[in-house]
Formats: sequence, structure tokens, C-alpha cells
Amino acid sequence: MYERGLSRTFTLALFLGPALVGAALFMVGPILASLVLAFMHWDLLTPMRFAGLANFQRLLHDPDFWGALRHTLTFIVGYVPLVMVVGFLVALGLNARIPGRGLLRALYFLPVVTSWVAVGLVWKWLLNPQYGLLNNALGTIGIQGPAWLFDPYWAMPAVILTSLWKDTGFVMTILLAGLQNIPPEYQEAAAIDGASGPQLHRFITVPLLAPALFFALTISLINSFQVFDQVYVMTGGGPAGATTVLIERIVKGAFSYSQMGYAAAMSWALFLLVFGTSFVISRLRARWEP
Amino acid sequence: MTTQLEQVRERPQAARVRRSRSNWPVFILLALGGLVMVLPFLWMVSTSLKPSTDVLTLPPRLIPAQPTTDAYTQVAQSFPLWRALLNSFLVAALTTLGQLVVSAMAGYAFARFRFRGRDALFTVFLGTLMVPFAVTMTPLFIIVKQLGWTNSYAGLIVPAMFSAFGIFLMRQFFLALPVELEEAAVLDGSSTLNTFWRVMLPLTGPALATLTVFSFMASWNNFLWPLLIVSDRNLMTLPLALATLQGVYPGQTQWNLIMAGTVVTVAPMILVFLLAQRWVVEGVTTSGLKG
Amino acid sequence: MKKLLTLALLTATSALAQTTLTYSSFTTDATHMDDMKALIAAFEKDNPDIKVNLVTAPFDSYFTKLQTDIAAGSAPDVFDLNYENFVTFASKNALRPLAASLAPANTFYPAALSAFKYSGKQYALPISFSTVVLFYNKDLFDKAGVKYPTASWKWADVLAAAQKINNPTARVYGIHQPVQFWEFYKVAQQAGGGLKVGAKVEIDTPANRTALHYLVDKVRVQKVMPDAAEMSGVASEDMFLNGQLGMLVSGVWMFDKFSPAKFGWDIAVEPGGAKKATHFFSNAVAVSATSKNAAAAEKWAKFLSSSPTVASRRIASNWELPALSLSQRTLIAPYLARPLPSNREAVFTSLQYAVTPPVVDQQSQLQDIVNQELEAASLGTKTVEQALASAQQRVQALLGK
Repeated sequence: MYERGLSRTFTLALFLGPALVGAALFMVGPILASLVLAFMHWDLLTPMRFAGLANFQRLLHDPDFWGALRHTLTFIVGYVPLVMVVGFLVALGLNARIPGRGLLRALYFLPVVTSWVAVGLVWKWLLNPQYGLLNNALGTIGIQGPAWLFDPYWAMPAVILTSLWKDTGFVMTILLAGLQNIPPEYQEAAAIDGASGPQLHRFITVPLLAPALFFALTISLINSFQVFDQVYVMTGGGPAGATTVLIERIVKGAFSYSQMGYAAAMSWALFLLVFGTSFVISRLRARWEP
Repeated sequence: MTTQLEQVRERPQAARVRRSRSNWPVFILLALGGLVMVLPFLWMVSTSLKPSTDVLTLPPRLIPAQPTTDAYTQVAQSFPLWRALLNSFLVAALTTLGQLVVSAMAGYAFARFRFRGRDALFTVFLGTLMVPFAVTMTPLFIIVKQLGWTNSYAGLIVPAMFSAFGIFLMRQFFLALPVELEEAAVLDGSSTLNTFWRVMLPLTGPALATLTVFSFMASWNNFLWPLLIVSDRNLMTLPLALATLQGVYPGQTQWNLIMAGTVVTVAPMILVFLLAQRWVVEGVTTSGLKG
Repeated sequence: MKKLLTLALLTATSALAQTTLTYSSFTTDATHMDDMKALIAAFEKDNPDIKVNLVTAPFDSYFTKLQTDIAAGSAPDVFDLNYENFVTFASKNALRPLAASLAPANTFYPAALSAFKYSGKQYALPISFSTVVLFYNKDLFDKAGVKYPTASWKWADVLAAAQKINNPTARVYGIHQPVQFWEFYKVAQQAGGGLKVGAKVEIDTPANRTALHYLVDKVRVQKVMPDAAEMSGVASEDMFLNGQLGMLVSGVWMFDKFSPAKFGWDIAVEPGGAKKATHFFSNAVAVSATSKNAAAAEKWAKFLSSSPTVASRRIASNWELPALSLSQRTLIAPYLARPLPSNREAVFTSLQYAVTPPVVDQQSQLQDIVNQELEAASLGTKTVEQALASAQQRVQALLGK
């Protein structure tokens, strides 16, 4: 920008104005408001009351919140390792010389572009205990499938399975891009040195893939803390609250129970969890890559 | 290492070819996996083409005995599914357009303008990316309510037009463009706006393409925000319509109708993917944020 | 041009002289939109200076929308309320106390009218009521050689009949009775107990345990009722319609849905335990405390709740029973005269034993907690005793007791 004086101000306003106004109104504003709200009691109908630390104290003792956190962590512990491992294996496979690579890559990526709501519903139907495809298929080989989404112990695994199906292609794409950046000469040189398959991966592939791995891991973690769409349509948080996750609890708190302040406090707790996790991962990464 | 590399390069063709033949097991495994990826989609389409009486039959058949488009017409009769399709398209298109304009201009400003507090301001923008939607959704709802935009297209489109990710992407791209181009334009007496419009923007094709596809998809698949602010059935976007469809037919979940709804929701995105594969992949991997 | 201008002026002035009311409703669903429009037209004809603007919202989001509208100062003039949300709005001064003239003596069913009093004042007028009865499949009863239910049946009779009819291999079950908050507070009273959330919280009591056992054992012990996995998402009403249930505890709003059934069916007053207790559901209309058109709003509320036009339309189109005094038999006669089910008198007999739900400010959360514990009991992940103890603890924490 080379203008001066009034035209400079005008140009600045023109280029930055919309973004600034929008950010203030729809991004920064709400963040600050949420920070204030967390220290208030508000039910929308009566005026706001100052709550001090009451919401946070309540948070520490609220079994519903800790239950939701537990369920979210169950999801994370089940989903993240699986999607990373499966995504890695598929990426490895697609990096090899096999026919139909382009088509296969597209097939694995297809679920990624679809909406979580659509995916949730299709899998809800697939997992129907009596009429769904999966249990009937298991039946033909003599296995009695569980009640999946209707069973409190199988509901979360069902959600994890669905999420794994949808996101494998996403992790695969990131890792494949990383793999393709590794010059094949390194691997071939190691092979000449006598390295076996697994040794090759452990000492060459994985270390060189580290940036992509960390990227995929961080994104998967951040997203899974905020899992919502598929849980909402598949189980609504049930059965008997077995799949109630954090976001669901926060949305319910704000919009069904009219506890705006408490919901805000919970959302900041979630922020701390997400931020803390990303921080830990980036520290790990710094130590991994000297 | 270097000698080894040279040795590798000199290896005979035959050795390399022998390697790839042993990859057939890999191919078969991947192909099976690919089948698992595709099967739910096939099942979705198959169910949507079944008559209501055929849906809950045992054993389930992949290919419907009497395929019919009844489900699609039935849903349309009692539920504004096609209206939802239109809404999704409208909202996604306008949101994307808005994002392109705002992000391109702000991205250029952050990349090329020199003003006080520029980097601090940009950091603030980046910071907002770290904050989960759960934190902002309640106050955002109240702000939108005060603006009178609940249950309106404005409420669906305008808040989504301001994406820190889009600004980040465009700034990155502008930073990579050579400064000489602008200097040349200035020497020619061009204003900043003119330079931007005539010289710089046309060079950002790839970034714009990525942003367009990413923004369109994210808007199309967005669920939580429409859930919060839309209560009028005629204003629903497709994911919201889908979720509501479950409760429309009290009692029995009419799976063929719901699957018809999911086909309508999913098909356009698959089409976009097939046509613009490269940009889709780039957009999703660069952002990696929940779409 | 002049004509256009005159027309414009006329419309403008007539608009000025008119009062426009906003009426927000969740009771007007898609099937009855035409009925409501006809009623509005009838009202506007009798009151040419009032125009009614109808706004509807699905039940799930209705109360959130209403609360945010009130908070934003844009409350509708008249709006629907149901019994358990009434207390929230009345206690927060969101409702306008209504003049006594709107509820002349002997117009309304007394229980319905008093349900919408708060602190001695009338804050809403009941527009409809409904109840829950025992539906039974005559063909399945005949096949099993069991006598039809009567008004004097008790729990033991239900279980006995259910066991005779039960045939899981043919996917026929004896009975379905939902295990959730709505059923539980009523069945608790049938057992001589009840869900109390007043000065003392009483959820885990011996009588309530008996009640929950009755509900849950049908699934887990006697196995005469299908569990969620066996139903696989098919609703109990659909199972009944398919001839898979001998008995079903459901609402009178299902009459229409069951009319195409390929088997004979009828209803009976719900069997009692230690005593009888039945549901009393009622919807009402209230006027906003901040309405600027209070007089017109009250006229519309009166029309909706007690006008014979509205009453006969509701009955004719199977759109909820008006909550009018039973002395107004002429209005109710067409309802009783319909052929299926034949024992329609049972609907009114049920009213004698009606009980109301426990209502608190945090109603939504109370229901969620109780429902979650009840579901755990019916799934078998908790025993009845554990579920009730847990519910007691959580509700006490919720209410700060």
C-alpha cells in the first residue's frame, strides 16, 4: 500500500474493515462475552446476577460434567489411536506400487466430504440390531451381534466405529502427503543395508513422517474433544446417558436448562482441555525432533 | 549415505519390478477396505429406493426387489426436503462468496500493508482459531438474537463469513507472491485497490479455489449452528432437515425416507469432490478443522 | 394513480386502526394448520379490528425460543403453555393475570382451570386436555382365552393377561408400558407413593420402589415386554398397530392412528395398584405480561379456550379435547359417539383419578435425570434400588436440598 493520508485510511478501512467488524462482532466479542458470562448466573428470563466462582465450583462437583468428560475421553481413547493406526496403514499401502491407486485414494476419502449427520444416520441404520446390515451379516457367520446403539456398553464403540470409517481417509491423506515427501532413496538404501520391513518403518519412515503424524494427531485430538454431530443423531446421548459428551452437555445446559453462565463455564473448561492437550503434543514434538 | 544412494540409482530395473509384484496382498487388503468405505453409501442408496413395506424385511437385501422413487416423493410431500436443498445451496454459496471477499482483502492487507499493530492484530485473529465453537456459541446466539437474525438467512450466512482460517490462507498465499509485481503497478500509477483487483488477485487462483471448496463444504455440512438458530422448517439446511426428519414420523423411523434425505444431502458433496478433487483434498488437509 | 394512492392510504389507515396480535403456538402442528387458520378467520370475522398473526414452532425448540423472545423484549402477545412449563413462566412474572370474566362459572373443567392458577391468580386458560389409557388388542385376547380388561383391573390382572398372551418367538408381547418420567410419577401414585419435589425430595421410597419394580420387571423378570434392543427403534404404537402387543399404555391422541388396525381393539381405564391414578395433561394459552394489546389478547385467549366454535372444531378434526366442563355434554357428545374405540367413556372416567406431575423450576433437568436413572433400571445396568437412590441424590443436588 503506497497511499498516504486520507486515501491510506480509506484503503485500510476498505480492506480490513469488514474483517475487523466481523471479527469483533462474531468472534472476539463472543469470546469476551463468554468469559464474562462464566462468572454470572443467567437464565434468560431474569436479569443477570454476579456469581463469582460459583459456576466453576459447581463444575468441580457436578457428576454430569465429569460423566460427560469421561464419555468424551472414552471416545478419544478409542477413536484417536485407531484412526491414526488405520490411517497410517492405509497410507502406507497406498504409497506402494499397486494398481488403481487413484481410485482407491478417492474411495477412502469419500466419507470425509460427507456431513456427520448423514454418516451418523446411515450407520444408525446399518447398526440396527434387528434389521441392520451388520448384525444380519454377522448372523450369516454365526455371530449374534450386540444391540449396538441400544446397548449402554456398545453404544460408544458403535460411535467410534462410525467415526473411524469417516475419518480414516482424512488421516490417510495427511500421512500419504507426508510419505510422498520422503525420498524413496532413503528407504531403498536402508533396504540394501539389510533392514526388514518393520525395521524400515521404525527407523526411517516414522521419524521422517513425524511432522505429518503430529499434525494429524493434533487435529484428531482437537476435533474429538468437540465430538457432537454423530452422537446427537445416533444416540442423543443415550442409552441412559452412556454417550453424553461434553458439547452435548454444554448445549443442553445453555439451551434446554437455561443455565447460560454455567454452560459458559463448562465451555471454558473444555477450552482448557483442548489447549492443554495441544500444548502437551507440541512439547512432545519439540522433544521428538531435536 | 551418498554412495549408497548412487548404488540404489544404479540398481537394475528388474529388482524394482520384482518389488512391486509382491504388493498384490496389499492391493487386495486395500481393495477390501475400499469396499468397506463404499458399502454404506450403496446401502444408503439401496434403502432409499425401497418401498416402505420393504424396508424392515429380513434378511435385508442389498438390491431392492421393487425399486421405486416413492421415498423421495413421500418425503417431499410432508417435509420441505427440496427446500432444505435450496437453503443449503444458497447459504453455502453466499457464505463462500462472503468469505472469499473478506478473506482475500484482509489477507492482502495483512500480507502487504504496513500499519501499526498489524502483527498483533493478526495474532489475535489466529488466536480465535484456537477457541472451540462451544465457547462462543451462546453469546453468539444472543448477539444474533439482538440483531434480529435468529431464524433468518442472515443469521446463517453473516457470522460464518468471517473465517480466520480463510484470512490465514490468503495471507500465506499473498506473502509468497513477488513484491516486484506491485512495485511495477505502483510505478504505473495504479492505486492499491486497482493493483489488488487487476494484478494480485488474479494470481491467487489456487488459493481461491481451495478456499471456495473448503468453505462451501464446511457450510454445507454445518449442523450445530443451524440447529441453534433455526426453528422454522422452511429455513432448515440439509443436515438439520435430516436430523429433524427422524422425529417427523412419530413412532416408526421410516428408514427409506431418511435414507432418501441422506442421499440428497451427500450426493452434491460427492459431486463437488469428483469435480474438484485436488482442491478438496488441499482444503481439508490445510485446515483440518472440524468442517 | 389516484386510485392506487387512495387504496394505499385506506390500507394504511385501516392497519392503524387494527390491533395485530402475535400468537405463538406449539399445539398447532402441520396436520391442524388448516383448522387453526379457519379458527383465526372466524375470530377475525367477529372481531374486525383484531388481526391474529400465527407463529408456530416444533415442541422441542418452542420453550427456548419463547424464553429468548421474552428476554429480548419481543414476547408474543398470546402463547401456548403446557402444565409443567407454566410454573416457570408464572413465577418469573412473564404472564399477565387474567380477568375473572374470561372464565365464567361452569365453563371449564375445574381441575384444568385450577392447574393454571399461581399464587391464587389465574394466569392461563386451558385449551385442551388429554389422558392416558390402556389399549388392548381384542383378537390377541380372544386367541389366548383371556377376558377383556375392565375398569376394576389391578396390576396383577395385567401381568396375568400379559403372560398368557406373550409369545416372543412369534414376536408378540404381552404389554408395553414406557419406563420413563411421565409414566413413573403416575405409577408411583398407583402404588400409594409419588414423586415429591417440594419441601422434601421424595423419590427413593418403598412405595416408589414397588412402582418401579412393576414397570421394570415386566421387561427384565417376567419378560412380557420387549426391551429397547428387541424393539430396535420401532415405536410401541407401531408395534401395537402391527398386532404385536396385547396391551399398550398410551395416550388418547392415538385413537386416529389406530383406526386402520386390522384387528378389534378397545380401551379401558388404567389398572390401579394400591389405588388408581391416571394422567392429566393440559395445554393452555397465556397473555404476556408485557403485551401492548392486552384487551385484544384476552379476547383471543377466551375464544381459543372456551368458544363453542373452537370446541366443536377440535373434536371434529381429532385435535385434542377442549378442557370444558363435563356439564357441557352437547359439545362432548360427538366425541363419545365415534365408533372406535367404543369405550370412550373411559376417557372421562379416567379424569376422576387424575394426578399432576411434580413441577419445579428446573423441570427439564429434573426429567432428564429421572429418565436416565429409569432407563438404566430398564436396561438392567442398575437395580431398581440403585436407580432410585441415585435419582434421589441427583435431584436433591439439583434442587439444592
